[in-house]
Amino acid sequence: MNENTKFQLAFLLFLAASSYLISPAAANLVLNRVDRRVDLTSQIVRIASSLKVENAGTDDVSEILFSLSTEHAEKVAFLQAVLVEGKSKSKSKSTAVILTVTPGSSDGRVMLFSVALPKPLKGGDSLSLETYVVLTHVLKPFPEEIGQSDAQLVLFHESAYFLSPYPVKVQSTTFKLPSSRVESYSKVGVTKLVDSEVRYGPYENVEALATAPITLHFENNQPFAVVEELVREIEISHWGNIYVTENYKLSHGGARHKGSFSRFDYQSRPAQSGAASFRHLLARLPPHAHSVYYRDEIGNISTSHLRSDFKKTELELEPRYPLFGGWKVTFTLGYSVPLEDFMFKSSDGRRFLNITFGSSFGHVVVDNLIVKVVLPEGSTQPTISVPFAVEQDKEIKHTYLDTVGRPVVVLTKKNAVPEHHNIFFQVYYRFNSIAMLAEPLLLVTGFFAFFVLCIAYVHFDFPISKSSASFQAQVQREELVDLVQRLQKVMGIQGEAADRLEASLRDVARSGDTAPCKVARKTADATWKETSKDLKALSESFHLSARSSFVLPKVEVLLQKEKEMVEKLQQKQVATVEAYERKLSSKDIDARIAPLQSKYSTLKQEVRDLIYALDD
Amino acid sequence: MDVMGGIHGGLQADLVTAIGSPIPQTLYPFLAVLLLIAGLVLTASFFIYEATSAKFSRKLSQEFATGGISSLFLGFGTLFLLLWTGVYV
Repeated sequence: MNENTKFQLAFLLFLAASSYLISPAAANLVLNRVDRRVDLTSQIVRIASSLKVENAGTDDVSEILFSLSTEHAEKVAFLQAVLVEGKSKSKSKSTAVILTVTPGSSDGRVMLFSVALPKPLKGGDSLSLETYVVLTHVLKPFPEEIGQSDAQLVLFHESAYFLSPYPVKVQSTTFKLPSSRVESYSKVGVTKLVDSEVRYGPYENVEALATAPITLHFENNQPFAVVEELVREIEISHWGNIYVTENYKLSHGGARHKGSFSRFDYQSRPAQSGAASFRHLLARLPPHAHSVYYRDEIGNISTSHLRSDFKKTELELEPRYPLFGGWKVTFTLGYSVPLEDFMFKSSDGRRFLNITFGSSFGHVVVDNLIVKVVLPEGSTQPTISVPFAVEQDKEIKHTYLDTVGRPVVVLTKKNAVPEHHNIFFQVYYRFNSIAMLAEPLLLVTGFFAFFVLCIAYVHFDFPISKSSASFQAQVQREELVDLVQRLQKVMGIQGEAADRLEASLRDVARSGDTAPCKVARKTADATWKETSKDLKALSESFHLSARSSFVLPKVEVLLQKEKEMVEKLQQKQVATVEAYERKLSSKDIDARIAPLQSKYSTLKQEVRDLIYALDD
Repeated sequence: MDVMGGIHGGLQADLVTAIGSPIPQTLYPFLAVLLLIAGLVLTASFFIYEATSAKFSRKLSQEFATGGISSLFLGFGTLFLLLWTGVYV
């Protein structure tokens, strides 16, 4: 199709009732010229026809009928009609809609589709139309079974005349074959075989719905790679990634393999052996695709090569064994792409995924293509925009850190061809970014539950009997430990006060100023007074406590020593202040303080030892 | 059929904006390490407190506070660890 120079417009194709066959509108149209080019170079048959339609009547015509034989109509994978208006430049881009095919002809032989025109064709006017039909599974291997060294021959049945509900004035058809090796071809009037092309026509004044069946028998060694089922899962994570997983059930749809398979022949004489088989597949992945893997049920398949540049990522992979006719292989291909390449926000606040629909492989037919779009948890109102007919379904998927599950949009397309693979489709949905916090909060809740469990464990008692001796002992022990800790705390406060006072005494020795020392003394005295009450209470508790007998002597000694220590420190302070106020010589001061100091130091050490001893 | 890609691949760029991760993905390793270290240190302090304090003097509020903050750190730290390792949740 030469779209470049022509104006294109879109059409909806409708299924037409058979009554159109005899409708007056149909009778008035005449096809002045039909050029048909049939591409048979691969496993897929592509028929491109350019039609010059003239309205020979006087009434306006708003739709044009387009027909296919029922045999072919069942195998239609893709159907498109493009209006070519004059020779002006492109004004708008066309969109194509593929319709669901159901037989609807009057005699079960012909099926009609109708092409709605954007504006009616007036009487006497003419227009140019291009139709494009893609058929799958119409090339029949003959012979049906071949050995390893045989070439694959296929049959193709068509009509030499363009099948149309309108009379055709001039028409010609060209069949393009993959090689010049043609076993046979039917001859209808003017028929020529030129190199690898078979040309039929021109034929003049062919009646409506006239056929001239022809059969082409030729060599076609192209890989007949048929994916019986492809499940393509696209999982969106708003944390910045899209996972694509493609599960393939691949088979060779050509002539079945007969006899044994010799890997030696296959590898030593690749030109003659297994010409119709294939061992490589080339997947075209999006740019920035990363974390690509290729595996099957057994594990990783290492025979793959990945090349990437800024425009695309290419993955060449080899199945575990070369595929001959009828052989099958299953594998999984997966990769990740960055979210920002495919995820967009539309002007109405909805988010949408814009990604290609079909398989990554260029030349495969997919019999059953299932695309699953796994939306993030918390997304609502998914709507799909696909430019051709698909079955829609919904499910829920549970994966990592999910609570209510993720909504999944399931799209099923039968008979998908490479024409579908590059088509982008959109899934619109509403999503609040706060919902992204659901996953971390689930983790936080999990950890918190663990902490709560730990807290509960240490707080609750799990005795068989609350009155048992061991439990009572345990409780008493706990009480005692608590008392000791409280005692140690109070001791700590007292000790700190003592340390501060001592520090201020050293300052006096350095500066000779006794005022700050007096202040320090006052605060220390206050602290001691306060804490002495606590100590008294604690000491009483120790006496009351049932199991304190073995710590009680230690505690008493400690309290005693502590008291002495405080007294000594107070004496020392008084002596020091007095000495400095009387401005005695440093020798005298030292002489006065030294005994006090040594006593205080020993007491302090003893107290400290006792506090530590209590821990045991 | 190159035209097909052109028709449906072309989005009107002025109407839409691309959406990426709310936090730059290059920060994931840093955040994972930072939050997990903070979380583990707090967890350690929680258990030290549980083990050393006497049964009658333990403060429930302090236990819940330490536990709660450390579970926050650990939860987000684990999330970024998962994202860093390629498990996009």
